[in-house]
Amino acid sequence: MITLNQVSKTYETPAGKFAALKDIDLQIQPGEFVGVVGKSGSGKSTLLNMVAGIDRPTSGTVDIAGTAIQGLSENKLAVWRGRNVGFVFQFFQLLPTLTAAENVMLPMDFSGSVPFRERRKRAVALLERVAVGAHADKLPATLSGGEQQRVAIARALANDPPLVLADEPTGNLDSVTATAILDLFRDMANRGTTVVIATHEAGIARVIDRRIEISDGAILKQ
Amino acid sequence: MNTIWRKAIRDFWHERARTALVVLAIALGISAFAAVLSSYAILTRELDRGYLATNPASAVFRVDSIDDELVKAILQNPEVSDAEPRRSISGQIKAGPVQWRNLVLFVVHDYGNIRVSKLVPEQGAWPPATGEILIERDAFQVAQVNIGDAVFVKTANGVEQPLVVSGSVHDVGQAQARMENIVYGYINLDTLVQLGEEPRLDQLNILVAQNRFDEDHIKRVVADVETVIKSRGHQVRRIDVPRPGKHPHSDLTGILLLAMSSFGLFVLVLSGILVINLLTAMMASQVRQIGVMKAIGGTRGQIARIYFGQALFLGIAAVIVSVPLGIIGSRALCRYMAMFLNFDINSFAVPWWVYLLVAVIGIAAPLVAAALPVLRGTAVPVRVALSDFGLSQTTFGASAFDRALTRIGGTFSLIVLAIRNSFRRRVRLVLTLLTLTAGGLFFLSALNVRASMINTLDHMFAAGKFDLSIFLARPYEFEKIQRAIANTPRIVSAEGWFVTEASLVSRFTVVALPADTKLLDLEIIEGRNLAPGDTDAIVVNNVLAGREAKMRVGETVTLRIEGAESTGRVVGVAREAFSPAVAYIPLSSIQHPEMINSLRLALKNTDADAISLVKSDLDRNLEREGVRASGSSSKSERRFGFDQHMLMIYVFLIVMSAIIGGVGGLGLMTTMSLNVFERRREMGVMRALGATPRIVWLMVVAEGVVIGMLSWAIAGLLAWPLSKVIGNLLVRMLLHGGLDFTFEPLGLLIWLIVSIGLSALASFLPAWKASRVTVREALAYE
Repeated sequence: MITLNQVSKTYETPAGKFAALKDIDLQIQPGEFVGVVGKSGSGKSTLLNMVAGIDRPTSGTVDIAGTAIQGLSENKLAVWRGRNVGFVFQFFQLLPTLTAAENVMLPMDFSGSVPFRERRKRAVALLERVAVGAHADKLPATLSGGEQQRVAIARALANDPPLVLADEPTGNLDSVTATAILDLFRDMANRGTTVVIATHEAGIARVIDRRIEISDGAILKQ
Repeated sequence: MNTIWRKAIRDFWHERARTALVVLAIALGISAFAAVLSSYAILTRELDRGYLATNPASAVFRVDSIDDELVKAILQNPEVSDAEPRRSISGQIKAGPVQWRNLVLFVVHDYGNIRVSKLVPEQGAWPPATGEILIERDAFQVAQVNIGDAVFVKTANGVEQPLVVSGSVHDVGQAQARMENIVYGYINLDTLVQLGEEPRLDQLNILVAQNRFDEDHIKRVVADVETVIKSRGHQVRRIDVPRPGKHPHSDLTGILLLAMSSFGLFVLVLSGILVINLLTAMMASQVRQIGVMKAIGGTRGQIARIYFGQALFLGIAAVIVSVPLGIIGSRALCRYMAMFLNFDINSFAVPWWVYLLVAVIGIAAPLVAAALPVLRGTAVPVRVALSDFGLSQTTFGASAFDRALTRIGGTFSLIVLAIRNSFRRRVRLVLTLLTLTAGGLFFLSALNVRASMINTLDHMFAAGKFDLSIFLARPYEFEKIQRAIANTPRIVSAEGWFVTEASLVSRFTVVALPADTKLLDLEIIEGRNLAPGDTDAIVVNNVLAGREAKMRVGETVTLRIEGAESTGRVVGVAREAFSPAVAYIPLSSIQHPEMINSLRLALKNTDADAISLVKSDLDRNLEREGVRASGSSSKSERRFGFDQHMLMIYVFLIVMSAIIGGVGGLGLMTTMSLNVFERRREMGVMRALGATPRIVWLMVVAEGVVIGMLSWAIAGLLAWPLSKVIGNLLVRMLLHGGLDFTFEPLGLLIWLIVSIGLSALASFLPAWKASRVTVREALAYE
């Protein structure tokens, strides 16, 4: 279970203090598919970063399956993320000099959770699951946006994490591809993975279990 | 291989042109280091090995005469394993119309049984028959003869005799004949008699039986041998104990090569700067990738390993490239040094420790250089890394320095843009300037040191107001000599000096000359010069003052000169560059002031032909008076020897500046390539606004030239103090002297042209690439 308790995040900017999150209280159940919806700058990404341990709250606590992640060091957080969190970015963020399969193998190499000889097999299987198995040995630059995002999703699943976070995963895709990608996330949730998506997509309601609306750093509705 | 290593390799392959540049730059540094280090190992080994193969004497005794009985008595001492008599005698040699050359003749009793300080026959006859002379292989150029030529030889007491040059020998232990401007000749006893000299041997080379490399032990044995010689009624004139097992030039070679090694290391450090530049740029361009890797579970250590892996690859690639280059370089350097020092290299085998050291340093240098950029790059927090939008977002204008730069020029132009652009990445600029400036500094230093050396030598030779020195076979009455001089035309003035040796703690030269000499104008740095009426005054040069504690102004010292004691007071210290230790005393203070053994002459004409003519005329007139000259030396001949030593330092500095300039050029090329890479989007915008490819090309080249000119300005400012330090250091190490420093302004102009040319050349390729990028490509680039 994911529990955010009175989480606030304030950034120091040249223009003064900026409150990105204000006293957020949130609970997400295992296997739940949650959509965090809001306008640009509303605090969606910051909220996701808190859950992923990418950013630390100014105050409050973030507890993921019994681990208070705000107390972990950067290195421990990286190790924890590698095993527990899959992350999908808006601009895919595949490493340009690695093939699709190698991009998927990278988290396995980092965490060492999958035996070395099985890594490629698993990567190809994951790529096939997201329907890009045929592109396993291609470099990202030769793939379309939708294909790159499918590879990124396969990478997020590399270590079979209980939690997948996606920040605007369809923001850079056409509507047909976006629909297909959202279906992949639904499929993931159906298999028991907790999925949290930050998006402003109108079509998200079709796939998610719960919608959390956020504005100016505060949850309006959940 | 896991994906971490695959990424490391592919990232480099992706940036292969830049990677190749950096590998080349590091390889250049390692090659220079490997070449010098290998040469050091080869030369020190071969020099000493070649020298030891001749079974060099542990000590050399100069005795009045040596007979078989004396040799037998010395060999009774179990500490002496061998003793071999010889004779060395000075004389002159002449071939055809060529003027007389100074000659040292070695007389060997039995050429078939040389056991100590062996000679190596090279070409022609061996041993020399009666009436024949062998010449040391390096002295043929000095004597200007070939094997088979007839030469005339005359010694101190003998008569002028024709001899045939029948062969060449290699005498490893002798200083290079060309450098000393002297001929070494080898004859037998019968030939010595033909030359009119007594058939006696006066030099005894001994070899100690044990502890051959223990100088203290040798000195103890020498003392015992001296006692034996004296007890048999012989006179010991001089004893020399050379450094055991070390070639006379071993120290000089070692110092020179060590100096070169340290410069090799310096070049390596400079090439390390390129690694810092490359990896800093790479880390900066990969901040988001680092963020992504951290987001998907990569730890700082795992990510740092990727980039350290790349640095490791740079080092390994550079070592692979540079080892063969270094070996080729070391062979060339060894051959040059061997020719310079007149010895043979039997094996160019490089010891294993050289390979190991080169590999360790070559691989470690890029790793060390990579440490800071990698550690800083991987320390960026994930959130910050993920929100990075690339380097083009870095702002210009935030600092006061940026705003100050905007005041340069005032109106927009290519140059103004080039100046501002060059200051955008300041750390990179500083690192690039460091390498380019170092190249400039060495070049300017080379020219300044050369100019200073010439200046120093000019000063030194200006002190001597004479054009020709004549050395007499023994002391003669000056009255006879004055008659000969009076009968010789084109001599403006002449002085008779008495030159000998004395010793306190060490042995030094004593020059007795007229107290009111007109032919030597010493540069007095303390006290005063000799003055008319002085009878017991002594003026010492700075070398002697530095060596002998007693030789201080105001001190009274007793010198033993030619067997007689003479007490004098030190009245002054003179500065003499590149000089041995010398004490100057009034001629009137010696026991027989009417007897002189050396002449100093100022001539009407000083060209080589005129000097040669005076020499032969004077020689003839002296012979008529019964005076025999044993040698001569003109100012230009002495200057030649010094110039040869100086040339070695000058060439070394020029070569070093060329290598460092090369590394600097590669560094600038890397910098410009990184600058262009990071500003592709900006260039696309400029192209979209109407800039032609030529404008973009010019803009990049101008930026490179601005950096080149900046490095020139800094090098120009620093060259003065640095040249002085480097020049003094090198000259002190190699020649035990100081420099009269002077700045060579022409060097500034030459380096300005080189800087502009080098920077334009280094920017050419990045500029060409930048100008070829289409607007669409540039704007689409992320």
